[in-house]
Amino acid sequence: MKQQSLGEFEELVLLVVAALHDEAYGVAILENLEKKLGKKFNISAIHVALKRLEDKGFVKSRFGGITADRGGRRKKFYAITAFGKRMLDNQYALRVGLYQQIPKISFG
Amino acid sequence: MHPPKNALKFLRWFCREDYVEEIEGDLTEVFEKQYGQSSRKARWNFTWSVLDYFRPEFIKSLRSNSINPFDMFRHNFLISLRNFKRHKSSFLINLTGLSTGLACSLFIYLWISDELNVDRFNDKDHQLFQVMQNFSRAAGITTGDYTQGPLAAALAQEMPEVEYATTVVPPYWFPNKGVISFGDAHLQASPQFVSRDYFNVFTCHVIQGNKNNVLPDKNSVVISEDLAIKLFHTTENIIGKTIQWNHQDLTDNYSITGVFENLPANASAPFDLLFNFEAFQFKRPGMKEWGNNDPCTYLILRENTPIDGFSKKIAGFIKTKDPKAASTLFVRPFSDKYLHGNYENGLPSGGRIFYVRLLSIIGFFILVIACINFMNLSTAKATRRIKEVGVKKAIGAARTTLIWQYLSESALVSFLSLLLAVGIVFVLLPQFNTITGKTLFLNFDSTLVTGLGLVLLITSVLAGSYPALYLSSFNPAAVLKGKLNTSIGELFARQGLVVFQFAVSVILIVAVLVVYKQMEYIQNKNLGYKKENIITFEMEGQPLDKLETFHSEIKKIPGVINAGTYYHNLTGDHGSIELSWEGKTPDQHMDFANLEVGYDFIETMDIEFKEGHSFSKEIKPESQIVLNEAAIDVMGLKNPIGKTIRFWGYERQIVGVTRNFNFESLHEAVKPCFFQVYPVMFNFVVKIQGGTEQRTIQQIHQLHNTYASGYPFDYKFLDENYRNLYVSEQRVSVLSRYFAGIAILISCLGLFGLAAFTAEKRLKEIGIRKVLGSSELGIVYLLSGDFTKTVIVSIVIALPVSYFMTKHWLDSFAFRVDLEWWYFIGAGLGALIIAWITVGMHTVKAARVNPTQCLKVE
Repeated sequence: MKQQSLGEFEELVLLVVAALHDEAYGVAILENLEKKLGKKFNISAIHVALKRLEDKGFVKSRFGGITADRGGRRKKFYAITAFGKRMLDNQYALRVGLYQQIPKISFG
Repeated sequence: MHPPKNALKFLRWFCREDYVEEIEGDLTEVFEKQYGQSSRKARWNFTWSVLDYFRPEFIKSLRSNSINPFDMFRHNFLISLRNFKRHKSSFLINLTGLSTGLACSLFIYLWISDELNVDRFNDKDHQLFQVMQNFSRAAGITTGDYTQGPLAAALAQEMPEVEYATTVVPPYWFPNKGVISFGDAHLQASPQFVSRDYFNVFTCHVIQGNKNNVLPDKNSVVISEDLAIKLFHTTENIIGKTIQWNHQDLTDNYSITGVFENLPANASAPFDLLFNFEAFQFKRPGMKEWGNNDPCTYLILRENTPIDGFSKKIAGFIKTKDPKAASTLFVRPFSDKYLHGNYENGLPSGGRIFYVRLLSIIGFFILVIACINFMNLSTAKATRRIKEVGVKKAIGAARTTLIWQYLSESALVSFLSLLLAVGIVFVLLPQFNTITGKTLFLNFDSTLVTGLGLVLLITSVLAGSYPALYLSSFNPAAVLKGKLNTSIGELFARQGLVVFQFAVSVILIVAVLVVYKQMEYIQNKNLGYKKENIITFEMEGQPLDKLETFHSEIKKIPGVINAGTYYHNLTGDHGSIELSWEGKTPDQHMDFANLEVGYDFIETMDIEFKEGHSFSKEIKPESQIVLNEAAIDVMGLKNPIGKTIRFWGYERQIVGVTRNFNFESLHEAVKPCFFQVYPVMFNFVVKIQGGTEQRTIQQIHQLHNTYASGYPFDYKFLDENYRNLYVSEQRVSVLSRYFAGIAILISCLGLFGLAAFTAEKRLKEIGIRKVLGSSELGIVYLLSGDFTKTVIVSIVIALPVSYFMTKHWLDSFAFRVDLEWWYFIGAGLGALIIAWITVGMHTVKAARVNPTQCLKVE
């Protein structure tokens, strides 16, 4: 279980979910990602990533209340689980550790 | 500002239910945001995203959620029952309509399977053939089954394809049965004369006697089980007993050489005794000649003999035996005789098979109409079920579930109707048997049960499919708000159905009228002789001189106006031979009907004379002959009295010419005929004074007993005999009446349902009209007006069809009524009145409605 992999895009999505705390849903995640990365994404990519994350157990989802917009369709909100958070922390620690191993020289 | 519809539909189609809401929502939100900038790009993005979602993770699982079948079945059953209870009238209408239709079809099926089964009981049925002859006559080719006596033996010898052949004088040669006597017991029985190989050709099980040589000599006879038991009370140890057989010239003592098993019920020509054909030949040596055609010839051909080839082979066979003959032979399968017995100009032209086909079509139609009625009524009443459908769909029922529900409901109704139909058939079967003259019974063998099951399946699918599809197609949102659209197409379909049903009813009403009128005409037509107050009976087994005395004694009884004797009668039983007359050219071949009678016959029957007079007792009977008008016309004789006619080697002088009279059924025109006179014959006609029948018949009976004690005095009234000529027409008359009644019933049911539907639908309209001041009568006119138009259309369609049908049927009669215009108008009016009465209940109820009540609900 500990050997669950996390793809690059999935990691990004997971980070945004964690950042948005409890207000993360499809379109919000999409907008945040697009703003941060300056690249256009397809909503379908986001959803696929979210489903995979949910299957792996990194996020959990809940339905929001019915509102007037979106044609009455509810939003599905995602929140990061403890397991997911640990995963992120591990990744972060790994990256930082490797980063700190780089010698302090100028790379031009 | 809506996302592209097709993409959305596609998404909804393939996407998993648990994801679809979220995905749709997100896509819609993104679309709305992008729409402001560029609508085209927003749509493109939307569509592309939807396509991108088409991945395995997002696609629905193909297996629908498994529904617990047992619970669903119970649920459907409960709902159906509740529906029946709540709407009893429509349930009962459906039930009645379907069960009537099913019962009709069941009756027709029983009748048809019986008809198709007639004469198929022989083991070698596929090899069993009858030899038929084609005679070329001036009027065309006559086909008959009467062949030459020596034909069977000759064919068996000379044709290698023939395994066995037999000559048979069938029972219908002896319509007045003979009398078999043993000691004091006298019984009437039907005989048949057969030649040597009969038991190898036909399946007739010999239970007592030598199977290989059943009829050893010309005084042998084999009797049926039933006859043995009636005569001897046993079937054992009767071989060797001598019985006396009385029938005209074949009267003699015969010795019993065996007992045969009773014939099965599906034999068309049953018999009680089998005699040796040699006995027949002995008494009538003409049978040995090749120039005489009388008995039937049957063959067993080798397996797989090609029929046409064999027929061609024997076509010229007669010419090789009798160079003067002008006939050709051919064979036809024995089992075809009953259904395909008619020949016209040498070619098979149907026969009873026509009725079989007609009735199967009718049965099928009635079932189809009943099913369509069911469909119509179910869909018309849909307004009651839509809320249920709406709620179920809103909760999430799939369309297939709903379809199953309504199909099973119609299956339930069909099943109940089937049970009811079987019950109806069971109860009415005896009456049906009386009408059709058969002995049908419901035996639930595998064919019947599978047939019924199949019919049940087809009916429930046929009748239930359209309502099921129709009811399950409703849009739940619209329906729960109370709207229900009826397309124009549906309305036409419903009205089309009513038109069709009423057209059929009108046709049947016309048919009933025409048949009735024709039967009336037949009964009352002046036949050229009088048949009232005449009784007829036979004096079998009495010597001719005794009969002459009997004849004169009868005339002395008070109350007897006149008495005559005859051999051939005036209901089509007569021979036909060729005559020669002065001035006849050698190539003229003309058949004349031969009526052999005794003195006083023509007077008793009150046949009028055009020229000359009847037979006189002063001149020798063998030199007198009387012809009818038609005969004289055909011969082209002027001043016929005294001219000579030649036949059978005799010469006779014409003493009288009668006016034309009908001596056959009215299907035939009056053919040329002649009378021969003999001093006395075996059959008597006695004209009785009206009002004294009882007493006079008593006295005749007493006289009969002194002359023929021990023999039954079995008399019939001549008009009864005459009626028996038209038995099949009578049946048609009765059956068409029943079918007309049924068709009208089913049409009324259909119209009733339709009326209920339209009345309900137009309730608001009626309320508004009433508020605006329309009277109740005005409403009734309005509603009836629509139906009147429908019925008039159906009348217009029906009348030409019925005209052609009845004309075709009437054309089969040489003497017939004309098709009066009032038959058709009357039938049309009748249908209209029936329609008004049917619709009346609903229109009046609708017209009386309180406007406040129907306009309140919104």
